[in-house]
Amino acid sequence: MTEAEATRFLSQATFGPNTAAVSELLSIGLEDWLIAAFEKPASLHLDTVLAGFPPDGRFFDENGNALPEVVFLASDSFWKTAIEADDQLRQRMAYALSQIVVTSSDSDIGRAPQMMAHYMDILTAGAFGNYRDLLQNVTYSPAMAVYLTYLRNQKADPVTGRVPDENYARELMQLFTVGLVELQPDGTPVTNPDGSQVELYDNADITGLAKVFTGLSFQGAGFAAPLPLLPLPAFYTPLTMFDEFHSTEPKSFLGTSIPANTGGDESIAMALDAIFAHPNVGPFVGRQLIQRFVTSAPTPQYVQRVSAAFDRGDYDLPSGTTVGSGQRGDLQAVIAAILFDDEARSAASIQDTEFGKLREPVLRFTHWARAFEINSADASNEIALRNTNSVQLLGQHPYRAPHVFNFYRPGYIAPGTETGAAGLTAPELQISNANSIVGYPNFISVYAFGLSPKEDPGQPAAYVADYAAQAELAADPEALLDNLDQLLTHGTLQAETRTRITEVLNGLDAATEEDLQRRARVASVMVMTSPEYIVLR
Amino acid sequence: MQSRRNFLKSSLALPMMASSGSMLSALAGFNAQAADTSSYKALVCVFLFGGMDCHDTILPYDQSSYNDYAQIRASLLASYAEQPGGSTRSRSALLALDPSSASFGSRQFGLPPQLSGLHQLFEQGNAAIVGNVGPLSEPTDSAGFGSNSAELPARLFSHNDQQSTWMSFAPEGSSLGWGGRFGDAAAQSNANAGAVFSQIALAGNSVFLNGDLVSPYRIGVDGVPSIRLIELAGDTLGPLLRDHFASAGSNRDNLFERDFINLSQVSLDANDTLDRALQEGSLVSTPFPDSELGAQLRTVAQTIAVRETLGVSRQVFFVALHGFDTHSAQAISLPALQQDLGDSMAAFFTATQELSIANRVTTFTAADFGRTLTVNGDGTDHGWGGHHFVVGGAVNGGDIYGDIPVSQLGHDQDAGNGRLIPQVSVEQFAAPLGSWFGLTQSELDAALPGLANFPAGPLNFI
Repeated sequence: MTEAEATRFLSQATFGPNTAAVSELLSIGLEDWLIAAFEKPASLHLDTVLAGFPPDGRFFDENGNALPEVVFLASDSFWKTAIEADDQLRQRMAYALSQIVVTSSDSDIGRAPQMMAHYMDILTAGAFGNYRDLLQNVTYSPAMAVYLTYLRNQKADPVTGRVPDENYARELMQLFTVGLVELQPDGTPVTNPDGSQVELYDNADITGLAKVFTGLSFQGAGFAAPLPLLPLPAFYTPLTMFDEFHSTEPKSFLGTSIPANTGGDESIAMALDAIFAHPNVGPFVGRQLIQRFVTSAPTPQYVQRVSAAFDRGDYDLPSGTTVGSGQRGDLQAVIAAILFDDEARSAASIQDTEFGKLREPVLRFTHWARAFEINSADASNEIALRNTNSVQLLGQHPYRAPHVFNFYRPGYIAPGTETGAAGLTAPELQISNANSIVGYPNFISVYAFGLSPKEDPGQPAAYVADYAAQAELAADPEALLDNLDQLLTHGTLQAETRTRITEVLNGLDAATEEDLQRRARVASVMVMTSPEYIVLR
Repeated sequence: MQSRRNFLKSSLALPMMASSGSMLSALAGFNAQAADTSSYKALVCVFLFGGMDCHDTILPYDQSSYNDYAQIRASLLASYAEQPGGSTRSRSALLALDPSSASFGSRQFGLPPQLSGLHQLFEQGNAAIVGNVGPLSEPTDSAGFGSNSAELPARLFSHNDQQSTWMSFAPEGSSLGWGGRFGDAAAQSNANAGAVFSQIALAGNSVFLNGDLVSPYRIGVDGVPSIRLIELAGDTLGPLLRDHFASAGSNRDNLFERDFINLSQVSLDANDTLDRALQEGSLVSTPFPDSELGAQLRTVAQTIAVRETLGVSRQVFFVALHGFDTHSAQAISLPALQQDLGDSMAAFFTATQELSIANRVTTFTAADFGRTLTVNGDGTDHGWGGHHFVVGGAVNGGDIYGDIPVSQLGHDQDAGNGRLIPQVSVEQFAAPLGSWFGLTQSELDAALPGLANFPAGPLNFI
């Protein structure tokens, strides 16, 4: 394996390669790296977030708004963990899952960072487990119940005409498990003889499934206990089923029926089992995970291989070692299948005009932070990292999508584009526009020049990058570019980009240390805004 | 004319899409006397993401209907009564509507007080209400819907698919919106020298503005952004940096790279042009609410103010308000959104008067869907047909078009739980707007392919 191949792999599998990570991968090889990744302890968020709470645990003011000192704790923990944690693949997997099974702090969850941290931990702890278990834990999470409005959802009342809230029933199927139409194992829709697709369910199924998600409320108090009276752990422990509020009707959906008077916990288990059993889950979830890690428009064959790993529950690495438990839905098998597939690893893919993806803006930033070995990823003093959703910043913020449909849709085909004309799905193009084209360079420049605004300028600064290695080379643009190409673009930097950067560098002084630092930083921004960086191949 | 059309295509630097076959064949029959694009006109789509509850927007006002409503919506009205300041949905709080010609027998309607801005426009004759609009494949009712005998739009009640269907007559994944098709007709008549500014998006990347010839240009509410590094680099290095960010002259093979490069080039050029135009133009002085919608409509007004510098005579704008998916806490969320909606649309109308083009700008609301009449406690679930507003000096306002079904369950347009089966299709809603915009009948038929399924005569709200 070459340094370029190692850098490329880590660009796909982590929050960004750096020199040490590349060396480590080169010394142990891909397979041992993967196995080690599965065994690294998970870096979780809840304890960190709770440690930041006031001693009495009271985290809200008289208006029910989160106190300023706690509101960003979960977000801060994300940045710190993504950039510094050792369990990089697990963290990437959790982040990828957060874009499929979406909850967002752009909601009432934003008032309770411990609720979000609990949710983040479900995805993190479950990242290498079984997808069925993930669905179970997500369903019982306070965060999802608040976000998709089934917290304290009640059975129907024929007197008032009240019916169960349908939100979770719909999105659980449409977004988290099976999608809308029947899929072949390679992710392409099944078509009828007349060319139409096969819809999986109609509104009657939704109404039937909605009955299942009734009766859940916070643990440790009455069903309708006012929020300020809840024991504080209620926000970060699994919900409890209150059967007196759970629907006793038969619950019919997706060709199955849960008998009348089945209890709440049992109904949920049966419902999740039935949905999880649908053959769509492997291709539906698998294709999206490929999009998060490797390429926006995987070939159907690639999708088929990944969904086969989902269904088998294990995957054979090249040496013959098998990873995964053998149980359908094993996420170790899935991520191994994604990263070790020929389509992900081969040099031929780099030359394939339809392969690759725009890097997510969040991942461009974390890559910068890791590649230039910032002194600390403690985000508590970083105003610009509190909400990077604005098009003037990164255009996305982790766990803060604008709605349950994530930042972009997996099936997005961009109009008026060449990827669109070729029928390629390109989700990240959905957040690319005339504003983001400007916002991202401005954002990365601010950090590259160490000018990010601080809440308290008196505190020792975090996010201070180390450009020493690059400054040392900066008197020689060619050498500097070789270094940056290795670090950032795994050898794909084009001659014309190099020429442009060289021209600019030659117009900058190279006499003092300050000059050399400036050259190094300008060059890094130019590389990180070049098409060959923006598009990960 | 011929060379100018080619100039437009090359300045957009976008390839013709292979999938636009049907539009291309329409172009083959192009008649130089097509869309009337003399003088200026603009359409502004205000999309209410999440689906605004139609039943909590146009409420029954006559006592008998209100009583029916209050019974079905008891728990929701109870949560309104708990709000500080008391209920804004009690009958006495509503703003009565007095339509000039529409007749609903003894039934009357009112708006919540938060929509006072729209109420005033309605009374002045500058706003119309179009009742029970939504996606349809053919006219139908509860019998057709319930027996599965009617042809229906795909994926009803699914947010993203209904948003897409409203905008483009097809579920998520479609590529051409009817706002874009209107823009295409205008482009074919050489409406716009500054073609990149014909479709302006203030929000999101939605399909509504996408056409074959025209593409949305995204602008923000905080002025035109510029790459700071270019500005800081000075006179010699600045242009070099600009060439870098625009990947000037680059020719790559990878399609994703090519698209990124094209987007960069088009965006940076358009940003520069718009920025210069705004610097040179005069400011719109009408005050706008400092709100999500207010900021967008203020920016639209400011952009319209510099239309001559931008070289446009036909524009379609897309703005959005989010948060209408009120499955719970509706009494808390919806009023504030409606306040923003009403106040911002009123301010925008005033701004068009300031610019002396009030009858040249037409604004209309749209949404994923309306909602259920039944409630799930303190909220409502996904519906279908909804009631919408059309505002502008050219609007035949002060009247209600389409229909407002009764506040009961089980009527002929009830799809269950009071979800309304639309009586006005999106095509029927869009056609008068397109006609006003300057499209000929044949251009309308091409832009709104389903229109032929709705033989009822055009609504004359504009």
